[in-house]
Amino acid sequence: MTAAPILVFENVVKRYGALTALAGVSLTLHRGEVVCLIGPSGSGKSTLLRCANALDPLDQGRISFDGHEVRSSETSVRLVRQRMGMVFQNFELFPHLTVLRNVTIGPTTVLKLGQAEADARARKLLAKVGLADKETSHPSALSGGQQQRVAIARALAMEPALMLFDEPTSALDPETIGEVLSVMKTLADEGMTMLVVTHEMDFARRVANRVAVFDKGRVIEEGTPQEIFTAPKVPRTRDFLSHLGWHGESK
Amino acid sequence: MTFDWNIVWSSLPRLLDGAWMTIWLSVVTMLLAIPGGLALALLRLSGIKPLAMAATAFVEFFRATPLILQIYWVYYVLPAYFDIQLSQIATAIVGLACNISAFNSETFRSGIVSIRQGQWNAGLALGMSRFSVFCRIVAPQALMRVLPALASTWVSLFKDTSLVSIIAVSELSYVALQIRAETYRILEVLTAMAALYWLMGYPQAKLVDWIHHRFKVAE
Repeated sequence: MTAAPILVFENVVKRYGALTALAGVSLTLHRGEVVCLIGPSGSGKSTLLRCANALDPLDQGRISFDGHEVRSSETSVRLVRQRMGMVFQNFELFPHLTVLRNVTIGPTTVLKLGQAEADARARKLLAKVGLADKETSHPSALSGGQQQRVAIARALAMEPALMLFDEPTSALDPETIGEVLSVMKTLADEGMTMLVVTHEMDFARRVANRVAVFDKGRVIEEGTPQEIFTAPKVPRTRDFLSHLGWHGESK
Repeated sequence: MTFDWNIVWSSLPRLLDGAWMTIWLSVVTMLLAIPGGLALALLRLSGIKPLAMAATAFVEFFRATPLILQIYWVYYVLPAYFDIQLSQIATAIVGLACNISAFNSETFRSGIVSIRQGQWNAGLALGMSRFSVFCRIVAPQALMRVLPALASTWVSLFKDTSLVSIIAVSELSYVALQIRAETYRILEVLTAMAALYWLMGYPQAKLVDWIHHRFKVAE
């Protein structure tokens, strides 16, 4: 890998009371790379994302973004978050704002863009995710898949250097999962750096450059999708994949 | 039994003055109690122990004692022990505003905590400050949720202003009772007083119903 590292986790430990959510995770994400985090629920994947942009503070270890350590002082963290888009499992659109205002709120309040410029940027992004005709709707009038696509546009409006996806399709009806995954695939094809927590093995296999398998707060195996899905080395990875009905041959 | 409604007609200007004072007291009290309640709610949610405890003590005192006692207390105890002498109207407003602030603070607090953490996270993840997330994302949603409760408090306040008649603030009840004392026309005066309260209160109650209907929590 010749590209420069952009997000580096070094021996990250996170505890919630007696529960150790992350037991020393090290992982490096390079510019332009798509890394999928897979593994059983509760294995620490989502926690790692929330630590990446300091929504959760670390207990031990170090995370650096673009060469600078992510610290939990408010001002420096805000600079990091501006450049790291995040997409949540439950969309978390702002229900009191229209679709357009959901997308412009970041650029106008954080980047201090004028409303007209922010609107233009938002419209371009809404068109990109296929929702140009929904800008005056409120989130409650949209399907789950549409809401998640707005959430992706909202994150992209900050022109981030990196996108974090926290189980972006887990709360969706099966028929709307595809539209969200296809937007994500387009982003990946355009060279966006992405860290994706997902249970969509097919997406991980087709889109990821690398896959990291989590179990009990650790990365138990890391490799190309080819390595992980066709010839997993760690028995626990094989168990997990076969649990999902994945046997390595289904191409 | 004979009725002498002329008493009512001839006293109408005074009654209307009283009604005007009732409205004025309610409006001024609410204008103070909204920021007051918000400040108390934010102190309780601030996580700064001494401030949170002080705010809690204030709220629990004013919620758990009768308003009439609070008004007396401000009127008699402040001057006697603290050498603070307020006019009757100022006394009435201080008493009412403290009381309604306490109730509003509970309303605001429940509204703020009802907004889930994910909404905070979504704003913070964009790089917004906590202050900005609160003002633009959490507070507007919380306000929509608590508007019905706030409106109900308003209607109670409107009627409870009658309690300040005990310290001779010339709002509607006080004026009406005075006219009664001057004329001995109990039935006519009390009927006129009831009619005036009802004429003012009924549209407000209907408005509250409408607000309840309009701002039902929808996600």
